[in-house]
Amino acid sequence: MTFLLLFFDELRGYIKSKVMIILWFGMPALAILIRFLYQQADVEDPLITISIGLIISSIGSTLSSVMLSTSIVSEKNHNVYELFLVRPVKRWYFLLAKFFAVYLCLVIAVFISYLAMLILEAFDVGVTVDDFIEVLESMLILMAFMAVSCSMGIFFGVLVPSVAAAAILSVYLGNQLSSIIFLLPLFIDFGKPVVVTPIIGYSVTTIIMLLNIFIFNRKQF
Amino acid sequence: MSQNSCIELHNVSKSYKDLLALNNISFIIEKGDIFGYIGPNGAGKTTTIKILVGLIPNYKGEVYVNGISVSNFKDLHKIVGYHPQEVGFQEWRTVNQALTTFGRLSGVSKGNLENRIYDVLKFTELEDVRYKKIKHLSGGMIQKLRLCQALLHEPEILVLDEPLSGLDPSIRYQIKGLIKSLAKSGKTILFSSHILSDVQDIANVIGILHKGKILKIGSPDELQSDFRIGNMIRIEVAKNTLLYQDLENIAEVEKVENLASNIQLVHLSSDINLNSTVNQILKLLLENDCKIRNFSIVKPSLEEVYLSYVGGELK
Repeated sequence: MTFLLLFFDELRGYIKSKVMIILWFGMPALAILIRFLYQQADVEDPLITISIGLIISSIGSTLSSVMLSTSIVSEKNHNVYELFLVRPVKRWYFLLAKFFAVYLCLVIAVFISYLAMLILEAFDVGVTVDDFIEVLESMLILMAFMAVSCSMGIFFGVLVPSVAAAAILSVYLGNQLSSIIFLLPLFIDFGKPVVVTPIIGYSVTTIIMLLNIFIFNRKQF
Repeated sequence: MSQNSCIELHNVSKSYKDLLALNNISFIIEKGDIFGYIGPNGAGKTTTIKILVGLIPNYKGEVYVNGISVSNFKDLHKIVGYHPQEVGFQEWRTVNQALTTFGRLSGVSKGNLENRIYDVLKFTELEDVRYKKIKHLSGGMIQKLRLCQALLHEPEILVLDEPLSGLDPSIRYQIKGLIKSLAKSGKTILFSSHILSDVQDIANVIGILHKGKILKIGSPDELQSDFRIGNMIRIEVAKNTLLYQDLENIAEVEKVENLASNIQLVHLSSDINLNSTVNQILKLLLENDCKIRNFSIVKPSLEEVYLSYVGGELK
Protein backbone atom coordinates (compact mmCIF):
# COMPACT_ATOMS: atom_id res chain seq x y z
CA MET A 1 0.00 0.00 0.00
CA THR A 2 2.74 2.43 1.06
CA PHE A 3 4.76 1.70 -2.07
CA LEU A 4 1.75 2.25 -4.34
CA LEU A 5 0.98 5.50 -2.54
CA LEU A 6 4.52 6.75 -3.16
CA PHE A 7 4.49 5.48 -6.75
CA PHE A 8 1.26 7.29 -7.66
CA ASP A 9 2.50 10.38 -5.82
CA GLU A 10 5.72 10.41 -7.82
CA LEU A 11 3.83 9.68 -11.02
CA ARG A 12 1.51 12.62 -10.37
CA GLY A 13 4.53 14.85 -9.75
CA TYR A 14 6.41 13.78 -12.85
CA ILE A 15 3.38 13.92 -15.13
CA LYS A 16 2.95 17.58 -14.21
CA SER A 17 6.64 18.39 -14.58
CA LYS A 18 7.93 20.40 -17.53
CA VAL A 19 10.28 17.60 -18.61
CA MET A 20 7.36 15.20 -19.01
CA ILE A 21 5.39 17.73 -21.02
CA ILE A 22 8.44 18.01 -23.30
CA LEU A 23 8.65 14.22 -23.53
CA TRP A 24 4.98 13.64 -24.24
CA PHE A 25 4.47 16.45 -26.72
CA GLY A 26 7.98 17.35 -27.79
CA MET A 27 9.18 13.85 -28.64
CA PRO A 28 6.34 12.96 -31.02
CA ALA A 29 6.68 16.41 -32.60
CA LEU A 30 10.43 15.86 -32.99
CA ALA A 31 9.85 12.42 -34.48
CA ILE A 32 7.45 13.85 -37.04
CA LEU A 33 9.89 16.67 -37.83
CA ILE A 34 12.84 14.31 -38.35
CA ARG A 35 10.68 12.11 -40.56
CA PHE A 36 9.67 15.15 -42.59
CA LEU A 37 13.35 16.19 -42.98
CA TYR A 38 14.28 12.66 -44.08
CA GLN A 39 11.62 12.84 -46.76
CA GLN A 40 12.72 16.29 -47.88
CA ALA A 41 16.31 15.09 -48.16
CA ASP A 42 15.07 12.06 -50.06
CA VAL A 43 17.00 9.68 -47.81
CA GLU A 44 16.43 6.02 -48.58
CA ASP A 45 16.15 4.30 -45.21
CA PRO A 46 14.00 1.19 -44.94
CA LEU A 47 14.21 1.43 -41.16
CA ILE A 48 13.31 5.11 -40.94
CA THR A 49 10.81 4.58 -38.10
CA ILE A 50 13.33 2.58 -36.08
CA SER A 51 16.13 5.10 -36.68
CA ILE A 52 13.96 7.98 -35.56
CA GLY A 53 12.80 5.92 -32.58
CA LEU A 54 16.40 5.42 -31.57
CA ILE A 55 17.12 9.15 -31.74
CA ILE A 56 14.10 10.21 -29.74
CA SER A 57 14.42 7.46 -27.13
CA SER A 58 18.03 8.47 -26.63
CA ILE A 59 16.99 12.08 -26.05
CA GLY A 60 14.13 10.98 -23.81
CA SER A 61 16.36 8.68 -21.78
CA THR A 62 18.91 11.43 -21.24
CA LEU A 63 16.25 13.88 -20.09
CA SER A 64 14.68 11.32 -17.76
CA SER A 65 18.03 10.30 -16.35
CA VAL A 66 18.93 13.95 -15.66
CA MET A 67 15.53 14.57 -14.10
CA LEU A 68 15.88 11.54 -11.83
CA SER A 69 19.42 12.28 -10.71
CA THR A 70 18.84 15.99 -10.06
CA SER A 71 15.54 15.46 -8.23
CA ILE A 72 17.12 12.87 -5.91
CA VAL A 73 20.13 15.10 -5.16
CA SER A 74 17.86 18.08 -4.54
CA GLU A 75 15.58 16.07 -2.24
CA LYS A 76 18.60 14.70 -0.37
CA ASN A 77 20.03 18.20 0.08
CA HIS A 78 16.69 19.56 1.31
CA ASN A 79 16.23 16.64 3.74
CA VAL A 80 12.91 15.80 2.10
CA TYR A 81 13.23 12.13 3.08
CA GLU A 82 13.20 12.76 6.85
CA LEU A 83 9.46 13.35 6.96
CA PHE A 84 8.87 10.07 5.13
CA LEU A 85 11.37 8.01 7.09
CA VAL A 86 9.77 8.78 10.47
CA ARG A 87 6.75 7.02 9.05
CA PRO A 88 6.63 3.35 8.04
CA VAL A 89 8.33 3.89 4.69
CA LYS A 90 11.22 1.72 3.55
CA ARG A 91 14.04 3.60 1.87
CA TRP A 92 13.98 1.45 -1.24
CA TYR A 93 10.32 2.41 -1.82
CA PHE A 94 11.49 5.91 -2.84
CA LEU A 95 13.94 4.65 -5.41
CA LEU A 96 11.61 2.08 -6.94
CA ALA A 97 8.67 4.51 -6.91
CA LYS A 98 10.78 7.11 -8.73
CA PHE A 99 12.17 4.56 -11.17
CA PHE A 100 8.82 3.08 -12.17
CA ALA A 101 7.10 6.49 -12.33
CA VAL A 102 9.68 8.00 -14.68
CA TYR A 103 10.15 4.79 -16.67
CA LEU A 104 6.41 4.51 -17.24
CA CYS A 105 6.22 8.14 -18.40
CA LEU A 106 9.16 7.58 -20.73
CA VAL A 107 7.73 4.40 -22.22
CA ILE A 108 4.42 6.19 -22.84
CA ALA A 109 6.29 9.07 -24.54
CA VAL A 110 8.19 6.70 -26.83
CA PHE A 111 5.00 4.78 -27.56
CA ILE A 112 3.20 7.99 -28.57
CA SER A 113 6.12 8.95 -30.83
CA TYR A 114 6.16 5.54 -32.51
CA LEU A 115 2.41 5.62 -32.92
CA ALA A 116 2.58 9.04 -34.56
CA MET A 117 5.22 7.84 -36.99
CA LEU A 118 3.36 4.62 -37.76
CA ILE A 119 0.22 6.58 -38.54
CA LEU A 120 2.16 8.87 -40.88
CA GLU A 121 3.85 5.85 -42.46
CA ALA A 122 0.50 4.17 -42.97
CA PHE A 123 -0.88 7.22 -44.77
CA ASP A 124 2.31 7.66 -46.76
CA VAL A 125 3.39 4.21 -48.00
CA GLY A 126 1.34 1.81 -45.92
CA VAL A 127 2.41 -0.45 -43.04
CA THR A 128 2.71 -4.22 -43.39
CA VAL A 129 2.52 -6.73 -40.53
CA ASP A 130 6.29 -7.27 -40.85
CA ASP A 131 6.89 -3.53 -40.51
CA PHE A 132 4.71 -3.47 -37.45
CA ILE A 133 6.57 -6.40 -35.85
CA GLU A 134 9.88 -4.75 -36.63
CA VAL A 135 8.79 -1.55 -34.93
CA LEU A 136 7.52 -3.52 -31.94
CA GLU A 137 10.83 -5.34 -31.63
CA SER A 138 12.78 -2.11 -31.78
CA MET A 139 10.52 -0.70 -29.06
CA LEU A 140 11.25 -3.69 -26.83
CA ILE A 141 14.99 -3.17 -27.29
CA LEU A 142 14.70 0.56 -26.63
CA MET A 143 12.65 -0.06 -23.49
CA ALA A 144 15.53 -2.07 -22.03
CA PHE A 145 17.94 0.71 -22.97
CA MET A 146 15.68 3.28 -21.30
CA ALA A 147 15.48 1.15 -18.13
CA VAL A 148 19.28 1.10 -17.86
CA SER A 149 19.40 4.84 -18.46
CA CYS A 150 16.84 5.54 -15.71
CA SER A 151 18.66 3.31 -13.22
CA MET A 152 21.90 5.13 -14.06
CA GLY A 153 20.16 8.44 -13.35
CA ILE A 154 19.15 7.14 -9.92
CA PHE A 155 22.69 5.88 -9.36
CA PHE A 156 24.18 9.35 -9.89
CA GLY A 157 21.42 10.93 -7.82
CA VAL A 158 22.11 8.65 -4.88
CA LEU A 159 25.89 8.91 -5.15
CA VAL A 160 26.63 12.54 -6.00
CA PRO A 161 26.04 15.46 -3.60
CA SER A 162 25.76 18.25 -6.19
CA VAL A 163 22.87 18.81 -8.61
CA ALA A 164 25.17 20.09 -11.37
CA ALA A 165 27.53 17.11 -11.08
CA ALA A 166 24.59 14.69 -11.13
CA ALA A 167 23.21 16.34 -14.30
CA ILE A 168 26.58 16.31 -16.08
CA LEU A 169 27.30 12.69 -15.14
CA SER A 170 23.82 11.62 -16.26
CA VAL A 171 24.22 13.30 -19.65
CA TYR A 172 27.78 12.30 -20.45
CA LEU A 173 28.34 9.06 -18.58
CA GLY A 174 24.89 7.59 -17.96
CA ASN A 175 23.73 7.82 -21.51
CA GLN A 176 26.98 6.46 -22.97
CA LEU A 177 27.05 3.50 -20.59
CA SER A 178 23.41 2.72 -21.33
CA SER A 179 24.19 2.77 -25.05
CA ILE A 180 26.82 0.05 -24.57
CA ILE A 181 24.07 -2.32 -23.45
CA PHE A 182 22.01 -1.36 -26.46
CA LEU A 183 24.86 -1.78 -28.92
CA LEU A 184 26.34 -4.96 -27.41
CA PRO A 185 24.33 -7.43 -29.55
CA LEU A 186 25.47 -5.62 -32.69
CA PHE A 187 29.09 -6.52 -31.99
CA ILE A 188 28.79 -9.89 -30.29
CA ASP A 189 26.53 -12.56 -31.66
CA PHE A 190 24.56 -13.66 -28.61
CA GLY A 191 21.39 -14.50 -30.46
CA LYS A 192 18.34 -12.50 -31.51
CA PRO A 193 18.78 -8.87 -30.33
CA VAL A 194 15.06 -8.63 -29.50
CA VAL A 195 15.56 -11.36 -26.90
CA VAL A 196 19.15 -10.77 -25.80
CA THR A 197 19.11 -6.98 -25.42
CA PRO A 198 16.09 -6.89 -23.07
CA ILE A 199 17.56 -9.74 -21.00
CA ILE A 200 20.90 -7.94 -20.67
CA GLY A 201 19.24 -4.55 -20.21
CA TYR A 202 16.84 -5.57 -17.48
CA SER A 203 19.52 -7.66 -15.72
CA VAL A 204 21.87 -4.67 -15.68
CA THR A 205 19.00 -2.45 -14.52
CA THR A 206 18.27 -4.85 -11.65
CA ILE A 207 21.94 -4.91 -10.59
CA ILE A 208 22.24 -1.11 -10.72
CA MET A 209 18.98 -0.69 -8.76
CA LEU A 210 20.19 -3.13 -6.09
CA LEU A 211 23.41 -1.13 -5.86
CA ASN A 212 21.39 2.08 -5.62
CA ILE A 213 19.32 0.65 -2.77
CA PHE A 214 22.45 -0.52 -0.97
CA ILE A 215 24.04 2.94 -1.19
CA PHE A 216 20.79 4.73 -0.28
CA ASN A 217 20.27 2.52 2.77
CA ARG A 218 23.67 3.54 4.11
CA LYS A 219 22.96 7.26 3.85
CA GLN A 220 22.38 9.20 7.06
CA PHE A 221 19.35 11.50 6.86
CA MET B 1 10.84 2.88 34.88
CA SER B 2 8.70 5.68 36.28
CA GLN B 3 4.92 5.15 36.13
CA ASN B 4 4.28 8.60 34.72
CA SER B 5 7.25 8.82 32.40
CA CYS B 6 6.66 9.34 28.71
CA ILE B 7 10.15 9.58 27.27
CA GLU B 8 13.23 8.07 28.90
CA LEU B 9 16.82 8.20 27.75
CA HIS B 10 19.36 6.11 29.64
CA ASN B 11 23.11 6.50 29.04
CA VAL B 12 22.67 7.37 25.38
CA SER B 13 25.84 7.95 23.35
CA LYS B 14 26.29 8.52 19.65
CA SER B 15 29.46 9.06 17.62
CA TYR B 16 29.96 10.21 14.04
CA LYS B 17 33.36 8.79 13.09
CA ASP B 18 35.70 10.63 15.49
CA LEU B 19 33.11 13.07 16.81
CA LEU B 20 31.27 12.17 20.00
CA ALA B 21 27.89 13.84 19.44
CA LEU B 22 26.19 12.52 22.57
CA ASN B 23 28.10 11.47 25.65
CA ASN B 24 26.15 9.21 27.97
CA ILE B 25 23.07 11.40 28.34
CA SER B 26 20.07 10.45 30.45
CA PHE B 27 16.81 12.22 31.18
CA ILE B 28 13.15 11.52 31.74
CA ILE B 29 10.19 13.50 30.42
CA GLU B 30 6.95 13.00 32.30
CA LYS B 31 3.55 12.85 30.61
CA GLY B 32 2.22 16.35 29.93
CA ASP B 33 5.62 18.03 30.33
CA ILE B 34 6.87 20.70 27.96
CA PHE B 35 10.55 19.98 27.83
CA GLY B 36 12.72 22.77 26.44
CA TYR B 37 15.99 21.42 25.13
CA ILE B 38 18.64 24.13 24.83
CA GLY B 39 22.28 24.13 23.90
CA PRO B 40 24.73 25.73 21.48
CA ASN B 41 24.92 24.64 17.84
CA GLY B 42 26.49 21.21 17.56
CA ALA B 43 25.66 20.36 21.17
CA GLY B 44 23.76 17.24 20.07
CA LYS B 45 20.13 18.39 20.29
CA THR B 46 19.15 17.26 16.79
CA THR B 47 21.00 13.97 17.24
CA THR B 48 19.02 13.30 20.43
CA ILE B 49 15.77 14.14 18.65
CA LYS B 50 16.57 11.99 15.63
CA ILE B 51 17.35 9.04 17.90
CA LEU B 52 14.08 9.60 19.70
CA VAL B 53 11.98 9.56 16.53
CA GLY B 54 13.83 6.55 15.12
CA LEU B 55 15.81 8.29 12.37
CA ILE B 56 19.15 7.26 13.85
CA PRO B 57 19.09 3.56 14.63
CA ASN B 58 22.72 3.05 15.65
CA TYR B 59 23.43 4.43 19.10
CA LYS B 60 24.47 3.21 22.51
CA GLY B 61 22.12 3.19 25.47
CA GLU B 62 18.37 2.82 25.87
CA VAL B 63 15.57 5.09 24.67
CA TYR B 64 11.99 4.40 25.71
CA VAL B 65 8.75 6.00 24.62
CA ASN B 66 5.75 5.04 26.73
CA GLY B 67 7.87 2.25 28.19
CA ILE B 68 8.72 0.67 24.84
CA SER B 69 12.23 0.76 23.41
CA VAL B 70 12.21 2.88 20.22
CA SER B 71 14.42 0.35 18.46
CA ASN B 72 11.59 -2.21 18.67
CA PHE B 73 8.64 0.18 18.53
CA LYS B 74 6.83 -0.49 15.26
CA ASP B 75 4.02 1.97 15.95
CA LEU B 76 6.24 4.79 17.18
CA HIS B 77 5.08 6.99 14.28
CA LYS B 78 1.49 6.71 15.49
CA ILE B 79 2.12 8.28 18.90
CA VAL B 80 4.94 10.69 18.00
CA GLY B 81 4.58 13.76 15.80
CA TYR B 82 7.92 15.03 14.51
CA HIS B 83 8.65 18.57 13.40
CA PRO B 84 12.09 18.53 11.80
CA GLN B 85 14.52 21.41 11.56
CA GLU B 86 15.12 22.82 8.08
CA VAL B 87 13.39 20.02 6.25
CA GLY B 88 12.00 20.73 2.84
CA PHE B 89 8.91 19.48 1.11
CA GLN B 90 8.71 18.35 -2.51
CA GLU B 91 7.85 21.71 -3.96
CA TRP B 92 5.71 20.47 -6.82
CA ARG B 93 3.11 19.40 -4.25
CA THR B 94 0.31 21.56 -3.01
CA VAL B 95 -0.23 21.87 0.74
CA ASN B 96 -3.22 19.55 0.42
CA GLN B 97 -1.26 16.93 -1.54
CA ALA B 98 1.61 16.95 0.98
CA LEU B 99 -0.72 16.60 3.95
CA THR B 100 -2.73 13.88 2.20
CA THR B 101 0.41 11.82 1.62
CA PHE B 102 1.76 12.31 5.14
CA GLY B 103 -1.66 11.65 6.64
CA ARG B 104 -2.04 8.38 4.75
CA LEU B 105 1.50 7.32 5.65
CA SER B 106 0.78 8.12 9.31
CA GLY B 107 -2.22 5.83 9.25
CA VAL B 108 -5.04 8.39 9.13
CA SER B 109 -8.03 6.71 7.48
CA LYS B 110 -9.17 7.99 4.08
CA GLY B 111 -12.56 8.99 5.46
CA ASN B 112 -11.10 11.01 8.32
CA LEU B 113 -8.26 12.60 6.38
CA GLU B 114 -10.22 15.48 4.81
CA ASN B 115 -11.42 16.62 8.23
CA ARG B 116 -8.03 16.25 9.85
CA ILE B 117 -6.37 18.31 7.11
CA TYR B 118 -9.02 20.99 7.55
CA ASP B 119 -8.58 20.93 11.34
CA VAL B 120 -4.79 21.27 11.34
CA LEU B 121 -4.84 23.98 8.67
CA LYS B 122 -7.44 25.89 10.63
CA PHE B 123 -5.45 25.46 13.84
CA THR B 124 -2.37 26.94 12.18
CA GLU B 125 -4.36 29.49 10.16
CA LEU B 126 -3.26 28.05 6.83
CA GLU B 127 -6.74 27.28 5.43
CA ASP B 128 -6.31 29.86 2.67
CA VAL B 129 -3.25 28.19 1.18
CA ARG B 130 -4.61 24.63 1.18
CA TYR B 131 -4.49 24.32 -2.60
CA LYS B 132 -1.39 26.46 -3.16
CA LYS B 133 1.89 24.95 -4.26
CA ILE B 134 4.44 24.68 -1.46
CA LYS B 135 7.02 26.61 -3.50
CA HIS B 136 4.78 29.67 -3.22
CA LEU B 137 4.63 29.63 0.59
CA SER B 138 6.63 31.95 2.87
CA GLY B 139 9.16 30.66 5.41
CA GLY B 140 6.69 31.13 8.26
CA MET B 141 3.98 29.23 6.40
CA ILE B 142 6.37 26.35 5.71
CA GLN B 143 7.26 26.24 9.40
CA LYS B 144 3.54 26.01 10.18
CA LEU B 145 3.15 23.31 7.54
CA ARG B 146 5.87 21.31 9.31
CA LEU B 147 3.78 21.58 12.45
CA CYS B 148 0.63 20.58 10.53
CA GLN B 149 2.12 17.34 9.25
CA ALA B 150 3.26 16.49 12.77
CA LEU B 151 -0.26 16.99 14.14
CA LEU B 152 -2.27 15.21 11.42
CA HIS B 153 -2.50 11.86 13.18
CA GLU B 154 -3.22 13.42 16.61
CA PRO B 155 -0.06 12.10 18.31
CA GLU B 156 0.21 12.17 22.09
CA ILE B 157 3.88 13.20 21.95
CA LEU B 158 5.29 16.05 19.89
CA VAL B 159 8.99 16.33 19.13
CA LEU B 160 9.78 19.74 17.70
CA ASP B 161 13.27 20.51 16.47
CA GLU B 162 13.83 24.28 16.45
CA PRO B 163 10.19 25.15 15.69
CA LEU B 164 10.82 28.86 16.32
CA SER B 165 14.09 29.48 14.54
CA GLY B 166 14.38 31.85 11.60
CA LEU B 167 10.91 33.33 12.05
CA ASP B 168 9.86 36.93 12.35
CA PRO B 169 8.55 37.97 15.78
CA SER B 170 4.86 37.83 14.86
CA ILE B 171 5.00 34.29 13.44
CA ARG B 172 7.18 33.23 16.40
CA TYR B 173 4.59 34.61 18.78
CA GLN B 174 1.86 32.76 16.85
CA ILE B 175 3.72 29.43 16.88
CA LYS B 176 4.54 29.84 20.57
CA GLY B 177 0.82 30.25 21.17
CA LEU B 178 0.11 27.10 19.15
CA ILE B 179 2.64 25.09 21.17
CA LYS B 180 1.15 26.37 24.42
CA SER B 181 -2.37 25.42 23.34
CA LEU B 182 -1.15 21.96 22.31
CA ALA B 183 0.40 21.57 25.75
CA LYS B 184 -2.89 22.59 27.35
CA SER B 185 -4.62 19.82 25.39
CA GLY B 186 -2.45 17.34 27.29
CA LYS B 187 0.27 16.55 24.78
CA THR B 188 3.80 15.86 25.94
CA ILE B 189 6.16 18.17 24.06
CA LEU B 190 9.89 18.13 23.61
CA PHE B 191 11.20 21.11 21.72
CA SER B 192 14.67 22.42 21.06
CA SER B 193 15.47 26.07 20.68
CA HIS B 194 18.23 28.62 20.75
CA ILE B 195 15.91 31.38 21.80
CA LEU B 196 16.10 31.36 25.58
CA SER B 197 13.20 33.69 26.18
CA ASP B 198 10.98 31.34 24.16
CA VAL B 199 12.14 28.35 26.18
CA GLN B 200 11.46 30.28 29.38
CA ASP B 201 7.98 31.23 28.11
CA ILE B 202 6.90 27.77 27.03
CA ALA B 203 8.77 25.06 28.90
CA ASN B 204 8.06 23.75 32.36
CA VAL B 205 11.23 21.66 32.32
CA ILE B 206 14.50 22.73 30.74
CA GLY B 207 17.47 20.58 29.79
CA ILE B 208 20.78 22.25 29.02
CA LEU B 209 22.98 20.28 26.63
CA HIS B 210 26.57 21.18 25.90
CA LYS B 211 29.16 19.26 23.90
CA GLY B 212 27.02 16.13 24.00
CA LYS B 213 26.49 16.21 27.77
CA ILE B 214 23.45 17.17 29.81
CA LEU B 215 24.64 19.90 32.16
CA LYS B 216 21.42 20.60 34.02
CA ILE B 217 17.76 19.64 34.02
CA GLY B 218 15.08 21.41 36.01
CA SER B 219 12.21 23.85 35.94
CA PRO B 220 13.07 27.44 34.98
CA ASP B 221 12.67 28.45 38.65
CA GLU B 222 14.95 25.66 39.84
CA LEU B 223 17.61 26.60 37.34
CA GLN B 224 17.46 30.22 38.39
CA SER B 225 17.43 29.58 42.13
CA ASP B 226 20.30 27.10 41.86
CA PHE B 227 22.29 29.83 40.24
CA ARG B 228 23.65 31.82 43.16
CA ILE B 229 26.45 33.83 41.59
CA GLY B 230 24.36 36.59 40.13
CA ASN B 231 22.09 37.32 43.13
CA MET B 232 21.16 40.96 43.18
CA ILE B 233 18.80 43.22 45.09
CA ARG B 234 17.00 46.09 43.44
CA ILE B 235 16.17 49.01 45.72
CA GLU B 236 13.89 51.83 44.69
CA VAL B 237 13.22 54.81 46.91
CA ALA B 238 10.68 57.59 46.61
CA LYS B 239 11.51 60.25 44.03
CA ASN B 240 13.41 63.31 45.25
CA THR B 241 14.82 61.40 48.20
CA LEU B 242 18.39 60.34 48.61
CA LEU B 243 19.72 56.85 48.06
CA TYR B 244 21.73 55.34 50.88
CA GLN B 245 25.33 55.28 49.65
CA ASP B 246 27.09 53.17 52.30
CA LEU B 247 25.72 49.71 51.46
CA GLU B 248 29.12 48.68 50.20
CA ASN B 249 30.29 48.64 53.80
CA ILE B 250 28.30 45.45 54.33
CA ALA B 251 30.70 42.52 53.95
CA GLU B 252 28.33 40.45 51.76
CA VAL B 253 27.85 43.28 49.26
CA GLU B 254 30.22 43.17 46.31
CA LYS B 255 29.24 46.42 44.63
CA VAL B 256 26.39 48.88 44.30
CA GLU B 257 25.22 50.24 40.95
CA ASN B 258 23.14 53.41 40.74
CA LEU B 259 20.70 52.74 37.90
CA ALA B 260 18.78 56.00 38.34
CA SER B 261 18.63 58.81 40.86
CA ASN B 262 16.23 56.72 42.95
CA ILE B 263 17.12 53.14 41.92
CA GLN B 264 20.16 51.09 42.85
CA LEU B 265 21.24 47.53 42.17
CA VAL B 266 23.12 45.75 44.94
CA HIS B 267 25.35 42.87 43.80
CA LEU B 268 25.83 40.23 46.49
CA SER B 269 28.77 37.86 46.91
CA SER B 270 28.26 34.18 46.22
CA ASP B 271 27.79 31.67 49.03
CA ILE B 272 26.15 34.05 51.45
CA ASN B 273 23.18 33.60 53.75
CA LEU B 274 20.65 35.50 51.69
CA ASN B 275 18.12 35.93 54.53
CA SER B 276 20.54 37.54 56.97
CA THR B 277 22.04 39.76 54.27
CA VAL B 278 18.60 40.98 53.21
CA ASN B 279 17.70 41.69 56.84
CA GLN B 280 20.94 43.58 57.33
CA ILE B 281 20.38 45.75 54.25
CA LEU B 282 16.75 46.46 55.13
CA LYS B 283 17.69 47.37 58.70
CA LEU B 284 20.35 49.77 57.49
CA LEU B 285 17.98 51.44 55.05
CA LEU B 286 15.24 51.83 57.64
CA GLU B 287 17.63 53.15 60.26
CA ASN B 288 18.72 55.79 57.77
CA ASP B 289 15.13 56.76 57.05
CA CYS B 290 15.15 55.75 53.37
CA LYS B 291 11.67 55.96 51.89
CA ILE B 292 11.62 52.52 50.27
CA ARG B 293 9.14 52.04 47.46
CA ASN B 294 10.39 48.76 46.08
CA PHE B 295 12.78 46.13 47.44
CA SER B 296 13.18 42.97 45.37
CA ILE B 297 15.62 40.15 44.89
CA VAL B 298 16.60 40.03 41.24
CA LYS B 299 16.98 36.51 39.98
CA PRO B 300 19.43 35.88 37.16
CA SER B 301 17.81 35.63 33.74
CA LEU B 302 17.70 32.25 32.07
CA GLU B 303 20.23 33.63 29.64
CA GLU B 304 22.70 34.24 32.47
CA VAL B 305 22.06 30.75 33.85
CA TYR B 306 22.55 29.25 30.42
CA LEU B 307 25.73 31.21 29.74
CA SER B 308 27.18 30.22 33.09
CA TYR B 309 26.64 26.55 32.24
CA VAL B 310 27.91 26.59 28.68
CA GLY B 311 30.79 28.94 29.39
CA GLY B 312 29.58 31.91 27.39
CA GLU B 313 29.00 30.05 24.14
CA LEU B 314 25.63 31.34 23.05
CA LYS B 315 24.70 29.49 19.82
